[in-house]
Amino acid sequence: MIRLTLAASLLGAGAMAAQADTLTLFATGEDQATVGFHAPELTRDGWQLDFSRVIVTFDAITAWRTDPPFQADSPAIDGAGVAFDGPVTVDLVDADADGRVALATRPAAPGHYNALSWALVPAPEGPFAGYSMVFEGTATRDGTQVTFTLATRDAVAHACGEYLGDVRKGFVTADTGGTLEITLHLDHVFGRADRPADDPMNRQAVGFDAFADGGMHEFSMDGLHVGHVGEGHCHDTPL
Amino acid sequence: MTRPSERRAARDKGRGAAMGAARDKGRGATLATARGTCRGALILAGLVAAAPLPALAHAALLEAEVATAVRLLARYDTGAPMQGAQVIIYAPDTPAEAWDRGTTDAEGRFVFVPDPALPGRWSIQVRQAGHGALTHVQIGAGAPGAGPETAPVPAAVIERPATTAGPMQRAVMVALVAWGALGTALYFRRRGHGDASA
Repeated sequence: MIRLTLAASLLGAGAMAAQADTLTLFATGEDQATVGFHAPELTRDGWQLDFSRVIVTFDAITAWRTDPPFQADSPAIDGAGVAFDGPVTVDLVDADADGRVALATRPAAPGHYNALSWALVPAPEGPFAGYSMVFEGTATRDGTQVTFTLATRDAVAHACGEYLGDVRKGFVTADTGGTLEITLHLDHVFGRADRPADDPMNRQAVGFDAFADGGMHEFSMDGLHVGHVGEGHCHDTPL
Repeated sequence: MTRPSERRAARDKGRGAAMGAARDKGRGATLATARGTCRGALILAGLVAAAPLPALAHAALLEAEVATAVRLLARYDTGAPMQGAQVIIYAPDTPAEAWDRGTTDAEGRFVFVPDPALPGRWSIQVRQAGHGALTHVQIGAGAPGAGPETAPVPAAVIERPATTAGPMQRAVMVALVAWGALGTALYFRRRGHGDASA
């Protein structure tokens, strides 16, 4: 887990994020990775999930300045890009106080980086080599508790528009560095009990019942749109 | 007609406001003028409905202005409106900072008056429950349909999904309509300590 260590060493990247002419990239699974699925936000089938690790591998990461702004409506982004080294494997549970894991900081020309492309790929090495995303933890429902490892080998390319959140991101100036974020919405895998059963997300989510016997299971990412930029969507393409 | 409650809400919302009635552009009315600087106001028709004497506790001042407005419609790809969604507006001069914030109305609508002194690409973000969309509108020179400010014609219609993913992925649709010379800005400025219903 060399790259895991590297990513961990970048956890204090707040200072780097403030460095002029640089762009720092983060990844997050938000509270669903660091806190888990707790009531009322249980899985769609009523399980509480607590993760010990959420291991994800990213590659082919490029931040883009696009004009007109890329609208996540195609797999290709046209603009000026800053490429990040990869692949990089991180544990989204081992995050900073903001729930983020720093991936890397790169020199970047001033401008607004309003698009981001990246791929979820199988890890090339380590204990989960061959898997692009792994959930390890404990599930609890009605007094039943099971430990689980859920993993997928699927690779998915993402072409995302601008980050959407409370703060607009991606601005690099001569005085300040910028930040961008890959955001994984884990509820697109497990669903949400606090959302209607016919919510499109719940209809496509895997839930946890299929893994209720515990142990190791593999799952498919087919139809699951986990990758986002904040609350902004991405165009995703299975690889 | 705009309901009094809508006018009160619009008045209190700052520079932008959610107003379902504003879509009825032919009927004019209902743009918040709370910025109070007549920003974008090309015509100010101030009507003093009553002499502004301090002794008249329930007197009202009615003002109307003509301005260029941006009308926003936000809905999910299911057709359901994004009710009460958060709206953040970014002006072209300081794109990293929110120029204004607000919420959509029950029909997913929101209207604001951009500052004509800030020409360029305005960005509007709408978010709700983990779903969001960002759209842009060009204001000023080069804006589609830019013309005489008094011509109340649609200047731009932009409607697009935030994602092109499969039908199972809930997408957000944002439609923008900017038009010139929306007859707007009816509000009451109460004097004294009168009751709102006065």
